[in-house]
Amino acid sequence: MKLSTSEYFIREVFLSLRRNNWMSFASIGTVAVSLFVLGVFLILVLNMNRLASSLESQVQISVYLREDIEDSTRRRVEGNIQEMQGIESVKYVSKDEAMMRLKERLGDQKYLLDALGDKNPLPESIEVTVKLPEMVQTAAEAIGKMEGVEEAKYGQDVVEHLFDITRLMRIFGLVLMVLLAGATLFIISNTIRLTVFARRKEIAIMKYVGATDWFIRWPFLLEGMVLGFIGGIVAALALRSFYAAMAAKIYSTLAFFPLLPQYPFMNYVAVAIIVSGMIIGTIGSTISLKRFLQV
Amino acid sequence: MIHMRDVSKVYDDTGAVALDHVSVDIGKGEFVFIVGASGAGKSTFIRMLFREVLPSSGVLEVNGRDVVKMDRSDVPYLRRGLGVIFQDYRLLPDKTVYENVAFAMEVIEAPRRLIQRSVNSVLDVVGLRDKYKSFPSQLSGGEQQRVAIARAIVNAPAIVIADEPTGNLDPETSWDIMDIFQRINAAGTTIVMATHDKNIVDTMRRRVIAIEDGHIVRDEARGVYGYEA
Repeated sequence: MKLSTSEYFIREVFLSLRRNNWMSFASIGTVAVSLFVLGVFLILVLNMNRLASSLESQVQISVYLREDIEDSTRRRVEGNIQEMQGIESVKYVSKDEAMMRLKERLGDQKYLLDALGDKNPLPESIEVTVKLPEMVQTAAEAIGKMEGVEEAKYGQDVVEHLFDITRLMRIFGLVLMVLLAGATLFIISNTIRLTVFARRKEIAIMKYVGATDWFIRWPFLLEGMVLGFIGGIVAALALRSFYAAMAAKIYSTLAFFPLLPQYPFMNYVAVAIIVSGMIIGTIGSTISLKRFLQV
Repeated sequence: MIHMRDVSKVYDDTGAVALDHVSVDIGKGEFVFIVGASGAGKSTFIRMLFREVLPSSGVLEVNGRDVVKMDRSDVPYLRRGLGVIFQDYRLLPDKTVYENVAFAMEVIEAPRRLIQRSVNSVLDVVGLRDKYKSFPSQLSGGEQQRVAIARAIVNAPAIVIADEPTGNLDPETSWDIMDIFQRINAAGTTIVMATHDKNIVDTMRRRVIAIEDGHIVRDEARGVYGYEA
């Protein structure tokens, strides 16, 4: 493409954006809102996935042993668990160790334990990690029936709950995305249609003097792309502030939450959002050109 | 230049037969008037030449290109060899005289230096060099049509096709336009002009092709209008 031709296209695009300033503004706004909502869902789903997988990888069974268990029984239980299929690791936690962990977890408030004096009410336990999360339930049930075992607890129900939420958010996000994409396409194609209409005389003359179809189409495609691009940038900037605010809120209340670090994560999100905006913009103008520009 | 053999045009939507097995040849450098009543097929004839209307059957070659079998993507290149002029000028109101003419070169991606040279030169031909900064609304009808002619010839077409170019103009102005056409023709450009202007046709005594009900009923080398004005 010649330099003077590119200049011509760019001039046409900005002329047209100015000429239809209200429609352009509405298009950019719709693109920005749609992409922002899309981005919020993207951020939430990705973070939920991360939370789920980090919980999942932590999926472990706490096997609490009876108060009166003999050392030999305990070793037999350990051995039996070790021999089960799909076991990743088995770790014995003594009463003293359990107490130490509790103190650590209480931190500044460990004085609460002073009331216990020398008594240690915590049971001995065995921490069992399984290889695959699907195995947790059966493994826990089998271990629970072993001699000398008081109870075998696991966090699977939390994870399943989390999966349910994530799945729901994915579906909801997808439906919303489709609706918003539809609305965005509609408004962009209408903006381009107005442009085509405003320039119909020029288009007719271009055809008479022998401009190629692509030469005629380019400015309109570019206009749609630019609308999507600007909308994408607005959405990406808004998402950045949103994520920063969300991160600050979460870190102050739920410190343990494994939030995806803002960088480079948000850069990827920004790129995805801006590219989506450009794609939507281009598709929107293509729809209009197909219907209203018989070149 | 133009070779038409057994060309017919039936409009799909109405079933109307606009042209019925028309054959004609127009050579290089000819000046041809197409005459006939409104609805006789004149307009269809003219619009086929730049493939705004596609023949239903027959052979049509313009400027060495097969208009019927031509690929859609080749139409722009057919039109680059033609200059088209309409009764209603069809200028862009928000562009100056200069920009209106330059537009025809910009959109076929001509080099900028060539554009400047060619536009100035054709504005000389139509006598509007000093009004290059004016907008169409500031010009008379005759001046606007001269801008349209400048735009049509700026890409140096082999054929100029004019559909009632003097239809909106008074007789005196019409002669100014015809003067320009004669000069363009003298420089070797073929001119095909549909017209209702008896005075012009009868005075100029050029080739006249008369169309009635989709047929060529008369084709004379130095013809007259032949109808009551």
